[in-house]
Order: sequence, then structure tokens, then C-alpha cells
Amino acid sequence: MGVIGYGLGVIGAGLAIGLAAFGATSAMARQPEIQGRAFTVFILASAFTEALGLIGFVVTLIS
Amino acid sequence: MDREGDILGAFSELPEAINELVSEFSSAPIFGNLEAGLTQYSFWLLISTAVLALIVLVFVKKQTLVPKGLFVNGVEYLVEYVQNDVAKGVVGSDWRKHFPFLATIFFFILINNFIGLIPGMKPGTGAIGCTAALALVTFIYFLYFGCKKHGVVGYLKSLAPAGVSFPMNVFVWIIEVFSLLLRPITLAIRLFANMFAGHIVMGSFAIMASLFAQPLLEHFSAMNALGALPSVAWLAILLIIYVVEFIVAFVQAYVFTVLAAVYIQIAEADGH
Repeated sequence: MGVIGYGLGVIGAGLAIGLAAFGATSAMARQPEIQGRAFTVFILASAFTEALGLIGFVVTLIS
Repeated sequence: MDREGDILGAFSELPEAINELVSEFSSAPIFGNLEAGLTQYSFWLLISTAVLALIVLVFVKKQTLVPKGLFVNGVEYLVEYVQNDVAKGVVGSDWRKHFPFLATIFFFILINNFIGLIPGMKPGTGAIGCTAALALVTFIYFLYFGCKKHGVVGYLKSLAPAGVSFPMNVFVWIIEVFSLLLRPITLAIRLFANMFAGHIVMGSFAIMASLFAQPLLEHFSAMNALGALPSVAWLAILLIIYVVEFIVAFVQAYVFTVLAAVYIQIAEADGH
């Protein structure tokens, strides 16, 4: 049951990382000179969302 | 025991094997007890610290005006990466003061993550105690520099943005205090969960590969060979995840350092 819950929960994190990547790639395509800065922000944003998914993973394993 | 074509059998053994794997990853003393002693994580932590000290000492000894060789150039590249990308890029004009702290955190986490990737070794950062200590050090560090810059009262006041009028001011301040207190917790859990989860996932795929291949190893037949076919796929996935873990090991060290730099920059910023 917990595994199913984790699968449902990770949909959100997956969508969030996808959105972050979408935003980063379109920003880089429009303005290639901000590539370095956009990449840093992208990594930061995906780290924030990924932490949520991973908290779900750990909670699933513990419960 | 006849286990011919026993694919369902492999699946039924899976939960037990994974539980065993997870319990293997929780901290256990190899030496002394949990109160005073070494767990497997602190053992590898000490080893990787020694490796890091060795690398840095050799690097300092080999350093010349014009860097030559892969080793010196590689370490120098990483140091410059932290200097330009994290310290100069995020902290700003004050980077020289904070660069030693940021570089120490970056290299410590990096070497721990990479040592943990070698099969049979554990990452020192895969235990919540280690990452909590790192996060706490970062927390105290940026609080200290915030208080030093603005004064204790000034720092507490600077948590709320300047241009907000009275009643909203208090609400924003309370929210900002909460987010401030959550920072060390999220820092600790992010690094711990990334290393822990990554190794659990790799272990699970390794277990699946071995469970499906077991009947073939015990008794060679066409049916068993067919049953062992999925383990080729599991092995392929395992290899891909291993490569991803290499990237994760680097990215997590980078993320921790960048977040520390961001927090320092926020704490020292004027008129937040």
C-alpha cells in the first residue's frame, strides 16, 4: 500500500522536475548567453523538488 | 530442490531480500556500540577524510606555477569551479571570506559520495547524523555572519522585508523565521535521502538480477536460461542507475554548496 502511495506522490515531483527542465531549456533557447546562470537555477529548483520525492521514498521505507 | 523456471518464486523472495537490504543500510556498530564506537558509515567517513587529506597534501606538494598533469589540473579545475561558479557567482563581492568554508564543504561531500559509489563501500554522507552535522555547521555559520553584519537585533529585524507595512510585517516575519529554521532540516534530509535512496535502488536491482539468475546457476537447463533472461535487463538498468548515481554524487555536493552560499548571501544582504 505504501509503495502505491509513493508512486502517486512521485507524480508531483516528476511533473515539477519536468516543468523546471522545460523552463530552463526554453530560457536557454531564447537567450543562450544566460546558459550558466539558468543551469544553476535549474539544478537548485530540481534539488528542491527532488527532496520532496526522496522524503516520500524514505517515509515509504520506514513505515 | 527443483526450481525449474521459477520466476514467480524469484518474485516471492523479493520483499524479504529487500527488507534485508534496507536493514543492512541502517547504521550498525562494527566496533564498540552505538553510543561510543564506529558504525560502518563513520568508518568509511574516516577513510574518505583520510583520502581527501592525502589528495590535498599531494596536490599542494605537486603544485607549480604552470599546472601540469591530469591530477593537478583536475583538482585545480574543481577548486576554480567552486571559486567561480559558487563563491563568485552566488555570494558576490564578499566571496573571498567565505570561499574556504564553501570549498571545504564541497570537497568533503564530494569525496564521501564518490567513496560510497565503489561497490562494498558506504558513503559517509549516507547516515543522517553526518548530514545533520554538516547542515548544523552551515546553519550556525550563516547565522553568525548575518549577526556579525547586522547585529543580532538587526539580523532578526532584517528577516522581514523592509517595504511592508505594519500588520503584514509580523506575518511575513513569522513565515521567514519558519523557513529559516527549516533550512538546516531540508539540507540534511536532501543529502541523506539522495545517498540512501540511490544506494537502496542500486541494491534492489542487484538483488533482482541475482534472484532471477539463481535457478540457472544452481541447475543448468533451457527453461532456467529463459527464466534468467530478465536479469540481463535488471543488470542493464543497474548499470544505467550506477552512471546516474555518479552524476547525483556530484550534483548533491554542488547543490549543498550552492544552497549554503545562497543562505550566506541572504544573511549578509542589505535591506532584505
